[in-house]
Amino acid sequence: MMTKVLALLLLCSPLLAQSAQEIIQKVEDNLRGESAQMELSMIVHTSRGKRTMKMQSYSVGDEKSFIKILYPLKDRGITFLKIDDTMWQYVPRIERIIKIPASMMLQSWMGSDFSNDDLVKESSIAEDYRQKLLASDAESYTLELLPKEQAAVVWGRLQMRVSKKYFLPTEVKYYDEKGTLIRILSYKEVKKLGDRFYPTYWVMLPQTEEKKGRKTEVIVKDATFNEAIDPAYFTKRALKRFSR
Amino acid sequence: MRPYLRLGVRNITQSKGRTAVTLLLSAFSTAVLIFSTAFMDGQHRVMLKNAVETYPGYIQITHENFRDNPGYENLIENSDTLVQRLQNDPRIGSISQRFETYVLLSTKEHSVGAMIAGIQPQKEQTNSILAKSLHRGKYLQKGDGNAIYLGSELAKNLQVKVGDTLAYIGNGVDYSFCADNVVVKGIFQTGLFQFDASSAFVSKEYFDHMFVSDNLATHIVIYPADIDTANELAQKIKPQLPPALHVQSWKEFMHTLVQAMELDSIFGYITLAIFFIVIFFVILIYTLLNIFARTREIGVLRAIGTGKKQIMGMLLFESTVLSFAGVLAGGAIGAALAYYFNLNPIELGAEFEKQFKQYGLVSSALPTTFEPLTILRDMGIMFVLCMASTLYPIVKINAMNPVEAMHHV
Amino acid sequence: MFKLIFKSALASLLRRKLRTALVITMIAMSLWGLLLMQGIYDGMVQQMIGNAVRSDSSQLSIFAKGFRAQPDVKLQLQKQQEIKNFLAHHPNVKSHISRILSRGLIATARYNRNALIYGIDPGAEITHASLNRYVVEGAFDFGDKRRGALLGYKLAKKLKISPGDKVVLSAQSMDQQIASVALRVKGVLRTNNLSIDESGVFMHKQRAKAMLGLENAHQIAVMVHDYSRVATLQTQLRTKFPGVKSYTWEQLYPALQQSRELMELFNSISYAIVFCTAAIGIFGVVLVSVLERLREFGVLRAIGTRFGVIAAMIFAESFLIGVAGFAAGSLLGGATLEYFAAFGLDLRSFSDALGEFGIDAVTYAMIKPEYFTTSFVAVFAATFLSVLIPLRILRKSKPVEVINE
Repeated sequence: MMTKVLALLLLCSPLLAQSAQEIIQKVEDNLRGESAQMELSMIVHTSRGKRTMKMQSYSVGDEKSFIKILYPLKDRGITFLKIDDTMWQYVPRIERIIKIPASMMLQSWMGSDFSNDDLVKESSIAEDYRQKLLASDAESYTLELLPKEQAAVVWGRLQMRVSKKYFLPTEVKYYDEKGTLIRILSYKEVKKLGDRFYPTYWVMLPQTEEKKGRKTEVIVKDATFNEAIDPAYFTKRALKRFSR
Repeated sequence: MRPYLRLGVRNITQSKGRTAVTLLLSAFSTAVLIFSTAFMDGQHRVMLKNAVETYPGYIQITHENFRDNPGYENLIENSDTLVQRLQNDPRIGSISQRFETYVLLSTKEHSVGAMIAGIQPQKEQTNSILAKSLHRGKYLQKGDGNAIYLGSELAKNLQVKVGDTLAYIGNGVDYSFCADNVVVKGIFQTGLFQFDASSAFVSKEYFDHMFVSDNLATHIVIYPADIDTANELAQKIKPQLPPALHVQSWKEFMHTLVQAMELDSIFGYITLAIFFIVIFFVILIYTLLNIFARTREIGVLRAIGTGKKQIMGMLLFESTVLSFAGVLAGGAIGAALAYYFNLNPIELGAEFEKQFKQYGLVSSALPTTFEPLTILRDMGIMFVLCMASTLYPIVKINAMNPVEAMHHV
Repeated sequence: MFKLIFKSALASLLRRKLRTALVITMIAMSLWGLLLMQGIYDGMVQQMIGNAVRSDSSQLSIFAKGFRAQPDVKLQLQKQQEIKNFLAHHPNVKSHISRILSRGLIATARYNRNALIYGIDPGAEITHASLNRYVVEGAFDFGDKRRGALLGYKLAKKLKISPGDKVVLSAQSMDQQIASVALRVKGVLRTNNLSIDESGVFMHKQRAKAMLGLENAHQIAVMVHDYSRVATLQTQLRTKFPGVKSYTWEQLYPALQQSRELMELFNSISYAIVFCTAAIGIFGVVLVSVLERLREFGVLRAIGTRFGVIAAMIFAESFLIGVAGFAAGSLLGGATLEYFAAFGLDLRSFSDALGEFGIDAVTYAMIKPEYFTTSFVAVFAATFLSVLIPLRILRKSKPVEVINE
């Protein structure tokens, strides 16, 4: 009897681990695809009210992305380029391309609850974390993501819920090293966009006392996936060229 | 005048050696003590004043959470109204608003994160030494548009000079994106490396326009009419503020520096104590020599019936007169010096400037303090010391019996 | 003859035991105070210099030309191996280490700060300048995988972290990218070198090299056997390796060097004031002693004793007092300094305030032989000066008149 149970366990655990990895892989594929073009709105809520931005984004895998701000008019034409771990920004008002230095990486991106680093490093959940399946119910899997020792991430642990139906995340909780919940990112309102189902409403909700009352919403208006994007977007020259 | 007092006066005028030495030394040590105290206090005051006035200010009003979490959530709302309400208070010398935020400063080649603050240039002239720390170019003035006043180390890191253009990028209070080109109008050097390496200023009007911070501030800084009463003034302002705001005097937010100055004073007084030990002994020796030279005379006085008390009185009278005269003269000299150098600060050469800058002294000119109460205190201390140094011989000679004393050689 | 002079001087001193004792006490006390002050202030300045030298500059630091003005990660040392070989065979070089220096950002999930990143070889640092002794919390160790970090204590406090916590370090690398690395805090340092305490982050040199894509280091720090000959070494470096520039600690920390000079000046002024005053005291005693014995000296002169002999007697008297005072004072002062040199002057209750100046909370006193030689000269000068006037008075007095008086 005992040996049978043991054998079963031995068989099962790699399976479980495998599936956790598989889940993440599927999630990443679904979220990103080979390439993506999107039109987004970002609404930043603070104790002082809310502010809406609109932008256009182009990306290839998780290595390259290009973002252009469309609205408000004051900020129209600001562009961002990310290639691997480096980020540049072009600001038409000052006609200058700026490379975001190390000291600014953790500053807020455009006043939102996302940091520059979030945009740059958003990439590597499959690479930087060890995944473990914590629970599974009728609707979703709950995964625990523990950063690999050498991974340059500040989080102590992530907890991700993935919907079984779409293999898309529904919620990611970010904890620090001491186990305190720092922020929650939720993905909602899955709709069919182009060739796939996609969450069209994201909310980042900081949990620390310092950031009480803040919230950033992202609304995906339109998206196409796996369609060829002009490689010219991913050069430093594009920052200026596609600003207009 | 009673006869033995007359004797005492005679003794003072006759024993010139003792009189001269006692007077000189007590005068000298009193003057030294008064002057050293005035110099030390003056130096500390300059250091604290510099540290306080370099930028922090004597009294700061902030949102109660700002110190722990300096963000746009913790601002002073309606700062204009608050300032208008407070500025009628006669105890407030000047009051100004600041708005600090963190931006990226950038030239074609270099980008550096730094603090940028919108200030009211005119008012800031009394509230901080920013204007006086001008190193190159010009200080800001009201109505300056995109002109920036830059710390010297920051200018060095960005490799810009007066007249060059650089850009900043940050977020406005509404979290909108803020960026503009600014021209370097002036470069300042306070000597506080960290500050010079990370601060830049623009006029608040311009700042408010860009960062959407009208009627908002991160700090309200107050320069009291009498800077010595900063603590009390802060206490009095507290009840006048809206509940979310917080007022602190420099003694609270710079307490380690205050403690450092106290420690320095302790070391100073210990050093002075060494001088005073020697002086104490010298006066003691001279009193002893003088009184023992008169052993026979005192023996005779006792033999003809003068009481111990009267002789003690005579001797004490002598040393009181001497000590008092010495301390008075020294006090006058010390006070005069303190007064003179209060008006005409001591200039230490430029070679020590770097050293002082390390400790937050911006100029090498050190005015002494001139405080009558402190001077009187020091005179009192020296008087007690001088008197104490004469007691031993007086007691000692009074313990002799008359016959022994008369036969003393 | 000498015996006689000393005997008479001694006898005269013993006859007036009280004042002799007072003068000796005076000299002893002032000497005690001065020695104590000098030893402790010297100790303080020396510690400040020691902290700067041990934690950062060593006695001599070598950088690529231009690195001091604009510390760019790309300005690594050229010909590093040649320089190291040269130093290894140089007779005046005691030890040398190399370091990587960079400015960057240190972050936790909640906070981030600017950081001065030092890539070091922990073993070499221990033997070179015992950097490990600055550890106040945790251990001086980067772990087997070299993923540890050591932080300045003020930085650790601001980030609210302690050993065991994870930090992420980012900095610009050689290929112009932003490189990041996750490290675990192993220890906290308090060097009392302000910039290191406030923003210093030490990591393993190999890890830093890999992170920033460097081949060589930015700094070579050198300790020498004989610091007075360091200029020769600098000249040799300049001619042999024109691409680098070397700086002594005085050049890197001019303010500390000035502190030391200021302290020396202050000490000499204190000595001068104290011993001038003491001389007045000795003078009084000698004068009275001479006046009291005018008749005695008159008789001696009358029976044909040379004035020189009498002068020698008076001088011997003063000198004996001086020697006794010096002996008592230096014994007392020396013993107290020994105590403070061994156990230190504990000012921990002022720890924060001292930190403001970069001074250690416990000061260990210095004891230098010069203290005793200088103070002996000062005592001797005071005793010598104090007999000059009494001698003049004595010379002017006419032996016959004095006897007949």
